[in-house]
Amino acid sequence: MDGIIQSLEVIFSLWGLAMLVIGALLGIVIGALPGLGPSIGLSLLIPFTYNLGPELSMLLMISLYTSAEYGGSISAILLSTPGTAAAAATVIDGYAMARKGKANEAISISLTASTVGGVLGGLALLLLAMPLAKLALQFGPAGYFAVGLFGLCSVAALSGGSLMKGLICAAFGLALATVGIDPIAGTPRFTLGMYQLYEGVPFLAALIGLFAVSEAMVMLENRATAAPIIKDKVGHVFMSMALWKKTWRTMLSGSVIGTLLGILPGVGGNIACWVARDYARARDPHPEEYGHGSANGIAAPEAANNATVGGALVPLLALGVPGSPTTAIMVGALIMHGLHPGPQLFTDAPTLVYAILFGVIIASLVQYIAGSLFLPIMAKTVLLPDAVIAVGIMAFAVLGAFAIRNLMFDVYLMLGFGVIGYLMKKLDFPVPPVILAMVLGYLIESNYRTALVSSQGDHMIFVTDPISLLFLVLSVVSLAVPLWRGFRKRSLGRAIQKTEAAAGGAPSLKSMEE
Amino acid sequence: MKMTRRSLGSRLITAALCATLGLSTAMMPVAATAAGFPEKSVTLVVWSGAGGALDTYGRKLAELLEKQVGWSVKVDNRPGGSGAVGVSQIMNQPADGYNILVLTGTLTFGIAQGLIPFKIDDLRLLRAMQSEPSSLAVLADSPLKSVDDFVKYMKENPNGLKVGGHAPGGFHQYMLYQLMKQGGFESGWIPHDASGKVTLGLLGKHLDAAMMTPSTGLSQVKSGEIRLLGVSTPERTEFLPDTPTFKEQGYNLEDSIWRGIAVKAGTPDDTVNAIQAAIDKVTASEDWKKFQTEQLQDSPDWKEEEFTKRAKGELESQTEFLKASGYIK
Repeated sequence: MDGIIQSLEVIFSLWGLAMLVIGALLGIVIGALPGLGPSIGLSLLIPFTYNLGPELSMLLMISLYTSAEYGGSISAILLSTPGTAAAAATVIDGYAMARKGKANEAISISLTASTVGGVLGGLALLLLAMPLAKLALQFGPAGYFAVGLFGLCSVAALSGGSLMKGLICAAFGLALATVGIDPIAGTPRFTLGMYQLYEGVPFLAALIGLFAVSEAMVMLENRATAAPIIKDKVGHVFMSMALWKKTWRTMLSGSVIGTLLGILPGVGGNIACWVARDYARARDPHPEEYGHGSANGIAAPEAANNATVGGALVPLLALGVPGSPTTAIMVGALIMHGLHPGPQLFTDAPTLVYAILFGVIIASLVQYIAGSLFLPIMAKTVLLPDAVIAVGIMAFAVLGAFAIRNLMFDVYLMLGFGVIGYLMKKLDFPVPPVILAMVLGYLIESNYRTALVSSQGDHMIFVTDPISLLFLVLSVVSLAVPLWRGFRKRSLGRAIQKTEAAAGGAPSLKSMEE
Repeated sequence: MKMTRRSLGSRLITAALCATLGLSTAMMPVAATAAGFPEKSVTLVVWSGAGGALDTYGRKLAELLEKQVGWSVKVDNRPGGSGAVGVSQIMNQPADGYNILVLTGTLTFGIAQGLIPFKIDDLRLLRAMQSEPSSLAVLADSPLKSVDDFVKYMKENPNGLKVGGHAPGGFHQYMLYQLMKQGGFESGWIPHDASGKVTLGLLGKHLDAAMMTPSTGLSQVKSGEIRLLGVSTPERTEFLPDTPTFKEQGYNLEDSIWRGIAVKAGTPDDTVNAIQAAIDKVTASEDWKKFQTEQLQDSPDWKEEEFTKRAKGELESQTEFLKASGYIK
């Protein structure tokens, strides 16, 4: 109890609030800059935390971590350039909405959803850390494999018009994911002798190239011919009541998905954003809006990626094991202060633990305020001429790709992906399935093979492992439901047509389908 | 209107290009020779990304070189290629001591596996400053109470337990291989791509036993949830006085993974001496000792000669292990 009160005293002290505000402002900027994500942001902070107490260090880091997850969506929405890997799913609807002249609305949805996700993820951490950690332990390699496969099922939904093209793109992404050191045999594969590819094709380079550079090229090409897009007034920060009504369910489901996937090391926000978007789309009465600037298409991934912050801290606090690369850096900072994370911290340093637990929730609220201040300035970007935006995208893309590992190699690779992305857009191939397959390919392959190593080659492990079985069944369901729905709609339509024809009325299949 | 927009665009493109070019020229090293080393700021090239144990060590070293010795030091993370990116970064710079590589004992594995396209002799290994052992870990409710129990069980049931740890063909599997040779048993290896996942694998009972660094599952080791059957230090470590060594149980398993610094071969002796003297100041400081205790690190403090000899010995026996386990031909 003392710990709770003392931790609140720390948080609401002048220093505590200052840390939260500084963290939020830095986080939004670092998140928005492609290539710089929460983990690089936190590692840049480490030297400054030496002289802060452990509580203040953690508040600063949590605040930056949370806000960076939101910040990633800003450049995703405005420049089609995901600032962080976890903002990749936001590009699709966020950028579409911004091009309709509603950048302001798109960012305010993202800000609100991020805040809701952050608070709910934080609440889950505060109230359910132990049971969630127990749940995470149930996941063995077979379970991780099945989760990855489940995620891959959303390719169908991301394919746009042609499922065949979507599958081709997914296969391309999976093929890219096999480049690098073999996770089981330890030897390099498909690296063409380039050691820069040992860790695989750098995901951010592909992401920035495929999404951002290709968009800049299209923009420059269309500049002379395209009609100017409608640019709206920039102003309001708050979401309208109507939008709240439309999106609250999605925010909720996104937060739950984000928290649950956040607790699994190696899964996290990069995957949660896609799963959340897919879930929202499947449940939405208007799935056809997705991809054309749907509010829910922004709310779902953004709620999810912020909820992973609370989720990723679960294994850290409950088990002493970091759940993501970002939380691993927080472990480093704690060790610098002579503290080792784990359940014993609850008795050794209760003030610190509660400062972290409440910090996640309060940092989300501070992020909302800081984000509101930034929003009008950020949203003005869309008022710039396309040429300036295109150049801005290119500059950010080059800097971002270089920032990944300080290698020019990554910049060239990113530009190469830009050309591929441009060709894909021209030939009407969807980009998101490539990204999704790249994210999931490694997870699926490495866990599939690890599971088989541990079962000594027996495939039954995927059925006998309850978690694996659950997600395999879910995968089948998620593939079967749209098919079944389509079938029912068609047969229903036919039945109505028949009755209407029998009654002599005009067939109105079209209105039925809407 | 169209004209002005276009010219604004192209001017911005030029500006961006100039900025990029300027940036890359600024990163070109300025050649310098060592008289009173160092005459300018020194770069610590860390061959891993920010945030890991090696990075933490590199940053502490940088901090203390500034505080205790008065150097101006920059940390440059060059992750990638299992260390190959970091080594080649050093190789592309002059051998003047201004670029110091911060590296780990995976160097010899990388060379043996052909992942790092260089030889030990391409570097001068100056000092090993940290080391961590491996240990054989099981859950508290496991019937195995000692290394002997484990060896006996594995002899009676070849491949009977799910054994794993961090990385395929790395240090921990190498230690298991040595135990296999000495105990005369067979065991598979379930590789994990992060050491934290090994702890989770044990706790979730997806692994029956693991070879891991004791600090990986520290809070569970301290609380007794994870039992360490043996640790690969010559004597019991001060951090875990209750954990027996392999050696005292009759297995000659004594090795650690080191972290240290190196410079490019051909760096002149007086420059190397200046670096060594600076490192001496760092390791003698209270700050460094406190840091080592907090990080649960042993301080091997091998100087160049011993360090190089050990690395070459490791390379030889690790090459044999990798061949026997089928990782290389």
